[in-house]
Amino acid sequence: MAVSGTPSPSPFVTLVSSDGFEFHVRRSAACVSATIRRMLDLQSNFSEAQTGICHLENISGIVLEKVVEYFYFNEKYRNSEGVPDMDIPSELCLELLMAADYLIT
Amino acid sequence: MPHFLASHNISAAQIHNDYQRRLQDAQQQEQQNAQNAAQNGGDAEDSEDDPVEQKKRKRKEEKTLMKIKQSKEFKKRKFEQQQDLGSDFEQDDDELARSMLKKSQPLPGQLENCEICGKRFTVTPYSKTGPDGGLLCTKCSKELKDEEKKESRDNKKKTAAPRGRRRQTESDRLMGDVKPGAKSLVDICVRRVANVVHDIEEFGDMPQSLLDRLSQILSKERVLTPRVLELFLRPDVDRIDIYDCAKLEEEDFQKIFAHMPDVEFVNLRFAGQMKDGPLLYMADKCKRVRHLQLGATNLVTDKAWADMFQKLGPQLESLKLSELNDSLGDDIVKVLVKSCRGLRRLKLRSCSHMGEDSVDALCSLTNLEHLTLAVAQQETSSATLVKLISSLGHNLRTLCLEEYVELNDSVLEAIKESCHKLTKLRIRGSVICSDAAFASLFDNNLGNPPLIYADLSDNRDIDSMNPDGPEDNPIGLGSGALKALMTHSGSRLERLNLKACRHISHAGLMEVFDGVKQYPALKDIDLSFVTQVDDVVMNGIFKTCPALAKLAVFACFNARQARIPAGIAVVGLPNAQDSVVIGEW
Repeated sequence: MAVSGTPSPSPFVTLVSSDGFEFHVRRSAACVSATIRRMLDLQSNFSEAQTGICHLENISGIVLEKVVEYFYFNEKYRNSEGVPDMDIPSELCLELLMAADYLIT
Repeated sequence: MPHFLASHNISAAQIHNDYQRRLQDAQQQEQQNAQNAAQNGGDAEDSEDDPVEQKKRKRKEEKTLMKIKQSKEFKKRKFEQQQDLGSDFEQDDDELARSMLKKSQPLPGQLENCEICGKRFTVTPYSKTGPDGGLLCTKCSKELKDEEKKESRDNKKKTAAPRGRRRQTESDRLMGDVKPGAKSLVDICVRRVANVVHDIEEFGDMPQSLLDRLSQILSKERVLTPRVLELFLRPDVDRIDIYDCAKLEEEDFQKIFAHMPDVEFVNLRFAGQMKDGPLLYMADKCKRVRHLQLGATNLVTDKAWADMFQKLGPQLESLKLSELNDSLGDDIVKVLVKSCRGLRRLKLRSCSHMGEDSVDALCSLTNLEHLTLAVAQQETSSATLVKLISSLGHNLRTLCLEEYVELNDSVLEAIKESCHKLTKLRIRGSVICSDAAFASLFDNNLGNPPLIYADLSDNRDIDSMNPDGPEDNPIGLGSGALKALMTHSGSRLERLNLKACRHISHAGLMEVFDGVKQYPALKDIDLSFVTQVDDVVMNGIFKTCPALAKLAVFACFNARQARIPAGIAVVGLPNAQDSVVIGEW
């Protein structure tokens, strides 16, 4: 990093839920979400891009945990065929749907 | 107890003695066997003594060896050994058979020592073979069996999951979805919500696009009941799309319009139980309806249609009616034309009471930009169609004429002359248009813009006495027309449907899909029943269409072995499961 001169962004980002839970997620996984990708785009000059912390005020911790699970699930199966669907508890699915829609995931 | 035993001549001492005797017998027997074996060895050495006996024994041994070689056990072992040692290692069959002969098992009823625990036991037909080929006692047999059962159960579990998955994968392929990787989270969640829809109280402020997707899934699963419908009724939303209303009754339709007075887009299909009441209620209460699509509303009377057109007609921008078999005759269509002056989009499909007069009446709807007609096929003459096209053509961006058997070259000529804005064209099921007329439609003398959607399916000669059609003036969409179409629209074309245009030649296909030309936007091609399609053509298509996502080749029996690049859904191959090899170039 120091050698190249321009500081390359940390490979991890922090996602904060509305109730204050923090998730440290690999950047490559979190960028599955187009919303987060744009938040973290260095050219955008958003504060999220500079600090690497995204406050997601409309997503609760319990839903965000599932979202993060999906981020890694998606990364794990990125190039494989016939991927099984991730298991989603039915009591979460509506909220998760709204969150997924917001995050464009 | 001892008295009872004594009275039956049973004594512990006797049992013990018997046991000891049997043990001794067994030991003696074993010793004797060993001696016999040694003697046999000796016999072999002094073979000159008894050549007849020896020959007999040898023949017997050969026989048993043969038997062993044919047995399943032998083949299994040979296979295992080959796997252990590598397939190129040549195993001597005789050697293996002999090694098995040594261990050849005692018959049921005899005594044997268990291979695992060493205990002596009586051999039964159910005794299992141990890992080294010896027999196992009842207890060890049972343990081994249990273990095998467990193992097979585990294996079953492992294979069962992908099998269920494969069904889903094939289903996705038919829908054109073969992208590698997991589905989007939205997609997974929507499916999950659709699964548990009966436990959901309300959707909350779900975005319209998701509501629509949910409606599609629920309609497909046929679970759109009155109870589920209520989830979709929201006064703050301006559209209602229900793709399967078959389970809804009259009062449910009434409820839709009562709950959503501001609705602008109404789309109700298979609405078989919609009656005059709800339709007129909508015409009275829902003052903002601009887009109306109704399917299979066969209980609505002509009078109600006329009333509705008169009330809502002036504000309607699009109207799509389909599968009406009991109403909407020529008179009502005239009311429609008179009332709905602002229509920009009109689709009439399978309305069996509409005649040629209706088609004639539609000529005055000059604001139309999108027109789909699949009605009054039998009696509509090409002259009427020409009149229709020359009156409306200059505005049309979409023109779909389906199953008009009378549609001939003059209609194609009229399309070419009048329609200068077309981006979507469907001419389906004509049997008399010539290849030359189709080619001339696309020869671009008049600077018509390229098409984005071209559906020219089922244009072929149907004289069963002459399957190839007339030679001098080919009928149907053939090679010449295909070439002209792709030259004209190849740069923008996204969807191409040539189903059953069976006069297209192999050379014609090769010329269009030569692997050098590029059709950058083409995503979806249907070449079903175009029998000349083969592996070479398919490879050409893959190279010529970089954006291709879906290719349908039903009944193209020459196409079997083509390698399918990742990310392209090919449907209709004869051996769907095996030959779909998805790989990189």
